[in-house]
Amino acid sequence: MSVTEYDAIILGAGVAGLTAGSFLAERGFKVALVTSGEPTVCLSTGCIDVCSRDHNPLTGIKGLAPEHPFHLVPEKTIRESLNNFQTAMMDMGFPYTGTAEENRLILSALGTFKTSCLVPSTMKAAPQDTKDSIHIITFAGLKDFYPSYILSRRKNTKFSVYDAGVSSTMGIASLFEEKDFLESFIDWLKGQNIGEDKIAFPAVLGLESAAEIVQKIAAHIGKPVFEIPTIPPSMPGRRLFNAMKDYFRKKGGDIYWEWPVIGVEKSGRIIEAVMTASKGRPNSLNGKAFILATGSFVGGGITAGRETITENIFNLQVFAPSPRETWFENDYFSFNHGIGRAGIKVDSSLRPEGSRWENIFVCGGILADTEILKNGCGHGLALATAHLAAQSCMEHIR
Amino acid sequence: MIKTDVIIIGGGATGCGIARDLALRGIPHCLIEKGDFAAGATGACHGLLHSGGRYVVTDPIAAKECYDENLILRRIGEKCVEQTGGLFVRLPGDSKRFRELFLRGCEDVGIPTEVISSTNALDLVPNLNPELEEAIKVPDCSIDPFRLCMLNIRTSQLRDGIIFTRHKVTEIVQSHGRCIGIKATDQATGEVREIRGNIIVNATGAWANMIASLAGCEVPMTLAKGSLVITNHRLTNMVINRLRPPSDGDIIVPNEAVCLAGTTSLAVENPDKIGIESTEVDTIISEAGRMIPHFNHTRIIRAFSGVRPLLKSKKMDAHEISRGFQIIDHGNGMYSIAGGKLTTFRLMAEKMVDTIMVSFKLKRACETAEIPLDGQEELSGYPLSKRLADMKDVVCECELVSRKEVERIINQTGTRNVGDIQHRTRLGMGPCQGGFCTFRALGIMNDMSVISPEQSMEMLRGFLQRRFRGIRYALWGDQLREEQLVEYIYLGILAMEKPQ
Repeated sequence: MSVTEYDAIILGAGVAGLTAGSFLAERGFKVALVTSGEPTVCLSTGCIDVCSRDHNPLTGIKGLAPEHPFHLVPEKTIRESLNNFQTAMMDMGFPYTGTAEENRLILSALGTFKTSCLVPSTMKAAPQDTKDSIHIITFAGLKDFYPSYILSRRKNTKFSVYDAGVSSTMGIASLFEEKDFLESFIDWLKGQNIGEDKIAFPAVLGLESAAEIVQKIAAHIGKPVFEIPTIPPSMPGRRLFNAMKDYFRKKGGDIYWEWPVIGVEKSGRIIEAVMTASKGRPNSLNGKAFILATGSFVGGGITAGRETITENIFNLQVFAPSPRETWFENDYFSFNHGIGRAGIKVDSSLRPEGSRWENIFVCGGILADTEILKNGCGHGLALATAHLAAQSCMEHIR
Repeated sequence: MIKTDVIIIGGGATGCGIARDLALRGIPHCLIEKGDFAAGATGACHGLLHSGGRYVVTDPIAAKECYDENLILRRIGEKCVEQTGGLFVRLPGDSKRFRELFLRGCEDVGIPTEVISSTNALDLVPNLNPELEEAIKVPDCSIDPFRLCMLNIRTSQLRDGIIFTRHKVTEIVQSHGRCIGIKATDQATGEVREIRGNIIVNATGAWANMIASLAGCEVPMTLAKGSLVITNHRLTNMVINRLRPPSDGDIIVPNEAVCLAGTTSLAVENPDKIGIESTEVDTIISEAGRMIPHFNHTRIIRAFSGVRPLLKSKKMDAHEISRGFQIIDHGNGMYSIAGGKLTTFRLMAEKMVDTIMVSFKLKRACETAEIPLDGQEELSGYPLSKRLADMKDVVCECELVSRKEVERIINQTGTRNVGDIQHRTRLGMGPCQGGFCTFRALGIMNDMSVISPEQSMEMLRGFLQRRFRGIRYALWGDQLREEQLVEYIYLGILAMEKPQ
């Protein structure tokens, strides 16, 4: 069995885990990040939602329910986490637009508006009202994008179909990374003589160089160009993950990819190591502190049984409304399903409440009382709580 | 206005069976159904073709009818019946006395049985509870109720029967105290059709009393709701029954790639207002888990309920009410056919049409038991071999349905309802329960201009709301995980708003 020593071990490779990892690595700590697979950030729009309940996200946070974990993070830390994120993404060539004081709108694939705080530069030109006329370019055979849904909401909208020869989101995105393809596409687009104010695309404009591709198309056509996020597989989500992952590695962090945790070594009030399995060989990753950022149900951090909900690594106590009938309301669109509150309750340093472990810090979607859909606070909450968890972790190590 | 001889209201197994029988006896007819075929109890049952064993102790007449029909359907409907065979399993604590009554009852009715040891039962179905005492083998089968309706209707279509689905009967036209026709509204367009006929057959199952009341008549019935759950896996290749008096959660039926387990029985007033309760789901799962322990850990993809249209009875427990059927002559040109069950639908249709022949003073014997069902090759579902042959542009990954197949159904049926595509292709029947593919199917319907952009949005919203009713009570484990993702897609990524 191999044993490796670290200052901090991060569990989970989503926005929260990678943010906490980079924070510590940047400050000279030896950090390992363990993940059992691809994180759910790859399924997301890539936008950083902080709080959609008010035009000013910071004001919106003040109005959240008293038990919401956002209240544990000082406003200064929230701002800092958003700034650091923007700096890091700029550094990785995947810049984000927006400020902590103001929400923006992005156009959804159903023609509705989605509220977010920081958005990838490829969505910067999205209309902020219904006035702009839009021309949508879609791709022959693309099964996850139908301009008709947008037409049902916006009257001044037209669309054209381009046959790229491939029909998957990923396939088209890879083609856009090829110089020749991009040039012949731009020639075709010029020939369309588009009269509308703006040009919209499903989010398939490239993998890592999407920001440049969007800029290039806009420059050649002379009109603002923006992307519309699609249902998974989502390119903006994947780009965000790749940029954050590369940033973490650049800062010296180690990633243990597809290393599911199979056991925990503990002593007194301290977790000493997580045992992981890779290629059939047991490994022990020893750490002074552990950051739990394994996500909620979709991410695999917690699992629901018929009556109880369990946390999958440390078997921490999970808060959940009870009985099961209260997990969901009858109305699908209620935005108020009780299950949205399930997760780990924490104290002000983000240690799990009521637990004897002194060196576990919890952040991101696995926290209790987040109600992410209702509050529109996904990746933003992950950034802010990851900063706080990393700070607490640092204090603990010292 | 359309003129015909017999108007059939209801497109469940009974109505479709009557249409086939009338077609084979050369009687012009028209069938009206307010939804799609098999929309009521026919489609909301476990798809069991009874051997009759379940009823030998409580209702030997119904048991005999079931067994006779079981033999007939296996012969005429080879492609929609899966000859799985069935077991009645006796678990520790189950009454030995009931076992004796059961075996004697089967012998009296003529149902072949074979008592097998627990070891042999486990050889047949390895997932069974290893503690079982013994099992009794019976000729149960599984049947696809939707396909059964389609095949019966096929004969009618081939012989000039007139069929209207998604048409709701709103009025029974009467003249001098006799029913002479009906008015039905097209559910998509709101257009009203008038159809005239000499005889009206009310084959609307749980809705029979509502339809009869349009003509001032009554059909006394007891409505008993039964709930079922569907698993993501086929945990058994045989039908598994519990060897004990009929009660909740005593049956598991394999069907295509899944298993259905049920049922419960609760009296209800209104067949349009039925829901499922968590306690029902829990009862079914723990009872099914007694027979097949794996049930406690397997993924449940949804729960649903149907309403049994039972004959009125003084018995308090609906488990004990007869599964027999009855033809009611309202004396005004309208007949109602009530009670019965899926397994005996053909017999019910035969008796109904015999009655009609008498009233028309015609003599032509029923042939539905001898002639195989029409269209079994072309309508035998959409088998995996066909699905795998066409993997280009798959729009439903769970059930492997291609865009081409969706387009074919839209062109063939001219449907504007996504449910019709689901029933005919299995689109949306898999683990994600239409979470991904319905968004696509509605987009395709819009691309083909059968619905407007506004309608596609409206239908997507309606679909999500209906879908949730089925899955809400079976959400834990992986299914809850999948549902959280689907919810995130629609309400998060696609930013769907709360309806006004």
